[in-house]
Amino acid sequence: MSQSLRPYLQCVRSSLTAALSLSNFASQASERHNVPEIEAASCPEVLLNPLTVSRNENEKVFIEPSINSVRISIRIKQADEIEHILVHKFTRFLTQRAEAFFILRRKPVKGYDISFLITNFHTEEMLKHKLVDFIIQFMEEVDKEISEMKLFLNARARFVAESFLTPFD
Amino acid sequence: MLLLDYQNVLIESLLKDRFSGGSPPASIDQVVSDFDGVTFHISTPEVKTKILVSISVKCFPELVQYGAEAVLEREYGPYIVAPESGYDFSVLVDLENLPDDQEAKDDLVRRISLLKRNAMAAPFEQAFDEFHQLQEEASKYTSESAPQGVLEGGQTRAIHYREEEAIYIKASHDRVTVIFSTVFREETDRIFGKVFLQEFVDARRRAIQNAPQVLFRNEPPLELQNVPGINNSGSGEIGYITFVLFPRHLTMQRRAEVISHIQTFRDYFHYHIKASKAYIHSRMRRRTADFLQVLRRARPESDDKERKTASGRTFKVQS
Repeated sequence: MSQSLRPYLQCVRSSLTAALSLSNFASQASERHNVPEIEAASCPEVLLNPLTVSRNENEKVFIEPSINSVRISIRIKQADEIEHILVHKFTRFLTQRAEAFFILRRKPVKGYDISFLITNFHTEEMLKHKLVDFIIQFMEEVDKEISEMKLFLNARARFVAESFLTPFD
Repeated sequence: MLLLDYQNVLIESLLKDRFSGGSPPASIDQVVSDFDGVTFHISTPEVKTKILVSISVKCFPELVQYGAEAVLEREYGPYIVAPESGYDFSVLVDLENLPDDQEAKDDLVRRISLLKRNAMAAPFEQAFDEFHQLQEEASKYTSESAPQGVLEGGQTRAIHYREEEAIYIKASHDRVTVIFSTVFREETDRIFGKVFLQEFVDARRRAIQNAPQVLFRNEPPLELQNVPGINNSGSGEIGYITFVLFPRHLTMQRRAEVISHIQTFRDYFHYHIKASKAYIHSRMRRRTADFLQVLRRARPESDDKERKTASGRTFKVQS
């Protein structure tokens, strides 16, 4: 793990743990409704201060807490065109399976690549520290996966090009 | 499996099977597709022993213009018959009238399975001949005094072998330039294509010094300046890949191999783009399963599993 990655992840971990203190909170606007307040944003008093943790301009995490839900958006590093397309493909692949992931948001927040929405029902059902672990592990592995895919693509391209040109030799 | 075959495998295996005489002649009626929208039709229209193989190529009129008929005549001579309706060219093989020795039979099978390659080879052969002619002419002059026509080379031969894609061939006194135009349907293909082509460009510098020079750009190259029908939208969807074949590739003994090989470029290239996409897709699928596994750990294990004794009996809590 590189020198700047560790404090970055550590910071995200503690901010997330702090943000994930959620309680059941029924909608104040309509009876018998219970919606994630961060998404509804109908009354300002239940929203807390949003927070950005950034490693650099290309890698950051945006945490938006509220009384009964937290929205976490991640911007994944994209150094060039290839990484951009790989990140795009990968996040699309994940969001299409949002149903299976429970906490994954179908659409990322503007300016970010992927978003999660954790509500009080999730924290009641699942272990809080494991949810944080999941987000952190996701952040670690997604970078690794993208760079591995890029390396693979380059290696394959090189091999393919050489084998096509060898018969001319 | 890395490189594509030049011949059509289906035709090859079918003919081999029939020629071996192991099975009694049966009637055939098969339509076979090949790359670049080429279609073959193998049938036995009259009797079971006479096999008719027809080919339909999108750009056949262009190929004829570049001397395809002569090439096909040379390759298939006595077997040529009038083209079947709906197809461009037909050969008829009579199973009762085959060459006697095995080697000639195999040669015939090979030649018929290379029908597409031979049809498409005509403009290449013409360009290679033109190159030799120009080279001879140019050798009469020094490099300064050569007349313009000899230096610049002849006309550009265009083969519009697919809907929006074409091959352009131009002969010059010291090289033959083959330009492929190719369309990338989507963004991912375009970027993957760029990665691949960059490696084609670099391969020569790195490992294979004698390979043809490969160039890649999104605008039409200068060789195609005066060719009509070049789409110059500059949207980046169309790429132009230039192969510069040097005299070493154009010698008589190598040219058949070079023509066959360069024809497979487009299909080979796109095949590997698709294959990489498929691999990356399966990789993402695996990685997604891993993530799901991690998330599942967040769920506390439920205790209300049914417990059993060693003999398989279950407990029930009495209420």
